[in-house]
Amino acid sequence: MNSTAMRLIRAEFRLTLRDPLVLTFVLVFPIVTMLIIGGAFGTEPDPAFEGQNPSQWYVASYFTVVVAATGLIMLPVHLASYRERGVLRRFAAAGFPRWSFALAELTLGLATIAVAGVVLLAVAAPVYGIPAVHDVGRVGLGLLFGSIGFISIGVLLGTLLPSARAAQAVGLMLFFPSFLLGAGGPPPSVMGSVLRHVGDALPLTWVTTAIRQPWLGIGTPTGTLVEVIALAVVATAVAARRAAL
Amino acid sequence: MTSSSASQEIVTVRGLRKSYGERVVVDDLDLDVHAGEVVGLIGANGAGKTTTVECIQGLRRPDSGRLRVLGCDPAREPERLRSLVGSQLQDSALPDRLRVGEAVELFATSRARDGAELLERFGLVARHKSAFASLSGGERQRLFLVLALLNRPRLVILDELTQGLDPAARRDVWTAVAQLRDEGTTVLLVTHELDEAEALCSRVIAMRSGRVLDQGTPTELVARHAGGARIRFSVAPSDELILAALRRLPGVADVALRAGQVTVRCDRQAIAHVGAELVRRGEVPTDLDVEVPDLEAALLHLLDSANTPTPAIPVTDRELVTMS
Repeated sequence: MNSTAMRLIRAEFRLTLRDPLVLTFVLVFPIVTMLIIGGAFGTEPDPAFEGQNPSQWYVASYFTVVVAATGLIMLPVHLASYRERGVLRRFAAAGFPRWSFALAELTLGLATIAVAGVVLLAVAAPVYGIPAVHDVGRVGLGLLFGSIGFISIGVLLGTLLPSARAAQAVGLMLFFPSFLLGAGGPPPSVMGSVLRHVGDALPLTWVTTAIRQPWLGIGTPTGTLVEVIALAVVATAVAARRAAL
Repeated sequence: MTSSSASQEIVTVRGLRKSYGERVVVDDLDLDVHAGEVVGLIGANGAGKTTTVECIQGLRRPDSGRLRVLGCDPAREPERLRSLVGSQLQDSALPDRLRVGEAVELFATSRARDGAELLERFGLVARHKSAFASLSGGERQRLFLVLALLNRPRLVILDELTQGLDPAARRDVWTAVAQLRDEGTTVLLVTHELDEAEALCSRVIAMRSGRVLDQGTPTELVARHAGGARIRFSVAPSDELILAALRRLPGVADVALRAGQVTVRCDRQAIAHVGAELVRRGEVPTDLDVEVPDLEAALLHLLDSANTPTPAIPVTDRELVTMS
């Protein structure tokens, strides 16, 4: 790999480890809310949770909270801050190829999701147990394309929003409805029809469904997986164009 | 043009034009920078200085014009060019939590010189582990200089290098740029600090509204546009004979006496003659005051002339601008 990209990736990893926003929203928030919500509905199989143990239903759902926190909060704030302060211009003036920064952000986003996801499962294991994965291939595809889609959305927001503050405000406004209706909130079956319809339209709901259903063995939502792949392709194309790659 | 002189041309710009919407920022600009020169771009805010160097670096695409920088077309080969140019940009920063040593590691390519040696040279070695956010303004600018020089650039572009720095930090940065000049590094310096341009630049290009008004060494611009020197001192009524002697000195344009105070308007060389005459007469006044025109006076006059397109005013009648 080009050494310029490697140097940039190494620096971005170091900086991410020192960023309190990442530690708060990508690592701590999903774990704390999973521990609270996962314990709220008991461990007995429940029809509201498609006949699953609610704690394990949430464990399988919360992986996408990490994806959303990375794509909707971490990356937009990070990129908008770089643009606002002229860091990207400095990288450009120093001869960093345009694609090297995009590659660094993609690598950083995927690694953050992987690390935060593993930490989430490591915390969940002794408390609620980790549900067996029924269809590893579909879960892997949903996670991979869902992550790429949300990382691209993050890059896109970071290139559109004028400042780190604006990115934080917009990111939080997108994150919390997605989190409550599409991943970490009440199960869709107990929501009213309006909220359920809103939730169904959210990209995070597609990703959660594409991961949770094959993970718990309660369905093989091919249509939803196709939606997630389409989301990843379209978001990546638009983000790449926007970033002038 | 001979091949040797061509090889000495680092930057050649012909007919550069750049607009933002309806506003023309750079208008038919010609510019040359030769190897080993420290060239200053000066002018008021909005003169088009930063846009010009951004086009030279390939950070902006010109609307028209021909640019060759180190043999590259900046618009077509920006990444190749940027690997040959070291730059310090106006209004740019590094990530707050990036440490000084990590910044050097991040920006160092395979042909980089010893980063530790550069940090030592610019007085930053003790700040090796400090985060960018914790550096003072002067330290940040010195770090930008380190990064600009790190990869053995053939051209260094410095845009508003000392903006917002306190006087001591400015002097530190000036010393660093003077070292570059003395080593023969080619530097294109954008500044509206005219004492900075006067102290550091071998040639200065004055711009207004995207056009070059004039160029030359700071001394040449001062001589062409700033007017003469002014010498003032008090004399006793019995010593008024000195006025006639001063009027006869070479380079003296005018001598006036008002309320016991003599004002001599003259060219720069005449300052020595006036001083010698006073010494010869044994009448060196205690309140002797000499105002020497500087680059600021030259630029102000140039800008003023550009506003009112009238013939140049004779040296003797120009209004002098007090040195700041």
